[in-house]
Amino acid sequence: MIELSIDGKRVMAEEGATVLEAARAAGIGIPTLCYHPGLPPDGNCRLCLVEIERKGKRELVISCMYGAREGLVVHTRSSRIWKARSFVLKMLLERTPDDPLLKRMASHYGVAFEERFHVESDPCIRCGLCVRACEENGTEAIGFAKRGWEREVSAPFEEPPRDCTGCKACAVVCPTGCIDVEEEGDVRRIWGKDFRLVRCALCGERFATEEELAHMGLEGDEAKYCQRCRKMLFSARFLVGL
Amino acid sequence: MERVLLISPEKCVGCGACELACSFTKEGEFRPAMSRISVYHFEPGINVPMTCQQCDEAPCMEVCKTGAISRDEANVVQVDGDKCIGCRMCVMACPFGNMAYSVEKKTAIKCDQCNGDPQCIPFCPTNALEYVPADTVAVSRKKLFSAKFAKLVEEVTK
Repeated sequence: MIELSIDGKRVMAEEGATVLEAARAAGIGIPTLCYHPGLPPDGNCRLCLVEIERKGKRELVISCMYGAREGLVVHTRSSRIWKARSFVLKMLLERTPDDPLLKRMASHYGVAFEERFHVESDPCIRCGLCVRACEENGTEAIGFAKRGWEREVSAPFEEPPRDCTGCKACAVVCPTGCIDVEEEGDVRRIWGKDFRLVRCALCGERFATEEELAHMGLEGDEAKYCQRCRKMLFSARFLVGL
Repeated sequence: MERVLLISPEKCVGCGACELACSFTKEGEFRPAMSRISVYHFEPGINVPMTCQQCDEAPCMEVCKTGAISRDEANVVQVDGDKCIGCRMCVMACPFGNMAYSVEKKTAIKCDQCNGDPQCIPFCPTNALEYVPADTVAVSRKKLFSAKFAKLVEEVTK
């Protein structure tokens, strides 16, 4: 364990923790958009800015990537931080003015949308959570393409992604909910790719895509029955075994 | 001391009180569909309460890529909802169907034995559910059964 100071409070953190993790564990709130506790941090949204003291100066750093060190002095509230976060939100609002989460955060910081550039409204804030979720799942079906202002999340060559299993984790972690998943009959459509849904051999519930089962290498009961029916079958076998 | 949730189907009367206690504790509402324990009625008088077995080699934990599923000091397999990314691989991997997914909470859900005080236990009127130290006679009986069961599954899947 290491000890650091956050907002004048002595905080214990685990070795290897980031400043954000240390602060949250101590109940000190820091806003984030691109952070997910289950995924590696990427420092994309810049909302988690805090100040650290170094060589007698205060420096702005992003807390989701900055490692907590013994004796580190951190400030999460100051007019400079407030200004920096407000600016970040202002820039995010330029392209994503209609997102409820972003609007709520912006209004907390007293920021309103004012058109500075003529850009097409886009619900994606380029936080990259979907890309990291996909990577973590071992599918790596989507990624960032192009550069600068053109940068966007895309499947390779904007074609239906070969490696996508249709698991929807990208859509679950997306903070603005901008990844479309459509389900109609036995087909799930995501990233422009159609997936055939597997029906439970007992109840008929569509419980997974063929690609998901193949990705996990599932055979036998797990590939045949839905979770509820497997539970019921297990109960029956439990009884027979008695 | 390590304790286990012991299920004795022969004592179960199928009242479903455990399901209500569980869903009320976990979700704040009486909704058996959200309960981590389920009672299956096969024939009149034949009921089986079923919940997570806290497997030694837990398939759910093995497939979880974000570290959201781990085993705590009490040997209980726990889900950290904050770390869950909703890929549902654990739901698919559990051979016994004891891992579910909550769309509302955006996380996988399972029996966590209520931090050492399972709320289903006091509501079971017939002691079909018991929370007992892992080294009691009843547990060794259960282990014997598990071995028999494992053999059975092997035969079925052959």
